[in-house]
Amino acid sequence: MIDLCIPTLKTERLILRGPEARDFDNVADFFADKDRSWGFGGPLDRNQAWRWFASMIGHWVLHGYGFWTVETHDGQPEGFVGLWSPEGWPEPELGWVMFAGSEGKGYAREAAQEARLYAYEVLGFETLSSNIFPGNERSIALAERLGAQYERSFENVSHGTELVYRHPGPDQISEGLA
Amino acid sequence: MTLALAIPTLETERLIMRAPSEADLDADTAFFASDAARYVGGPLRRDETWRLVASLLGHWALRGYGYWSVDEKDSGTYVGRIGLWCPEGWPEPEVGWTLMNHATGKGYATEAALTARAYAYDVLGWETAISLIDLDNHASKAVAQRLGAQFEYHYDHPKFGKTEIWRHPAPADLVNGGMEAYA
Repeated sequence: MIDLCIPTLKTERLILRGPEARDFDNVADFFADKDRSWGFGGPLDRNQAWRWFASMIGHWVLHGYGFWTVETHDGQPEGFVGLWSPEGWPEPELGWVMFAGSEGKGYAREAAQEARLYAYEVLGFETLSSNIFPGNERSIALAERLGAQYERSFENVSHGTELVYRHPGPDQISEGLA
Repeated sequence: MTLALAIPTLETERLIMRAPSEADLDADTAFFASDAARYVGGPLRRDETWRLVASLLGHWALRGYGYWSVDEKDSGTYVGRIGLWCPEGWPEPEVGWTLMNHATGKGYATEAALTARAYAYDVLGWETAISLIDLDNHASKAVAQRLGAQFEYHYDHPKFGKTEIWRHPAPADLVNGGMEAYA
C-alpha cells in the first residue's frame, strides 16, 4: 500500500487539492483545445490526455509533489497549478494551466504564489523556474507578474525550445519582493 | 488529503508482484529502446518511459487496479510488468504482460498473468477479461494460449494499429474447467 499524501492548500479565493478522477473531463477538454494547450504539449486526443492525467498523478507518487487541481471555494474547477519535474526536465518548475473561462481573474497568479511558497517553505526548494514556450505571451506576462525573469532558453527533451524564467528565491519572497 | 494507492503485493511460486517504482526505470528504458518494444507501444525514450511508469501508478489511482512490477523471488531481479490495464479508449479491461528481454522463455508471463487474472476475478469481481495483442507478437499469443484464452476478433487501435483481441476463460469456466492453475 502506498499512501499518496497530497496536501490541500487554501488561498483567499482558491483551494489547491489533489487531482481526482472527476477532473478528467476538464483535462480532456483542455488538451483538445489547441489554442489553449499548445504551450503545454497539446493538443492531445482524449486517450492521450488520460495517459497524461494518469502520469500527473503518478508524478505525485514518484516525487512527492506535482500539480494540484485549482478550484474556487465553492468547488468550481479553474485549472492546474503546481510543481513539475518529469524525467529529462532540467530542474523542477512551477507550472500553470487555466481552463477555458478561468483567465483574467488572477487565479493562476494566486495559486502559483501559493504553490511557490509551498515549494520553498515545505519542500525546501532553494530556487524555482518556469519553462515557457516562445511566444506564449500570456504565460510570460504571468511569470513576470510573479517576479520571475528571463534567464536562458534550452532544448526540452519532449517539447523543443523553451524559455526558462527564474523566480525570486525563498529569501526574496520572505522579504516581500514578489 | 491522503489518496490511498492500494497496490497489493502478490506472490507466485517464483515471482513477487509489487508496485511499479522508479527503480525499474533503467531496465524499462533499455527494454523500450529495444526491438521487442515495438509490440507494446515502443520504442520510447527515457523521458517517455518515465512518464509511462508515472502513468502506471496513476492508472492504479484512477481505476483501482493496474500493472505490477514483477521480480524474480530468488534473485530480486526485475523481470517485467504484468497486470490489469484499461486506460481511456481501451475496448475493455485486459490482462497484459511485458517481459524484459532477459526474462523470456521461462514461463514468467504465464505465471504472473494467471495470478493477475485470478486477482481480477476473485478480488475485483471481473466477469471476463481480454488481452490485446499486436498482430505479429507471436510469443505473446503463445502466452495467451497457455492461459486458456482464445482469439476473438481483430481490433484496430487508433494509436497502436492492428491488434488481436484474445478472450480469457470466464471465472466460471476456470472453476469448472479444471484449469491447471486452479486445480
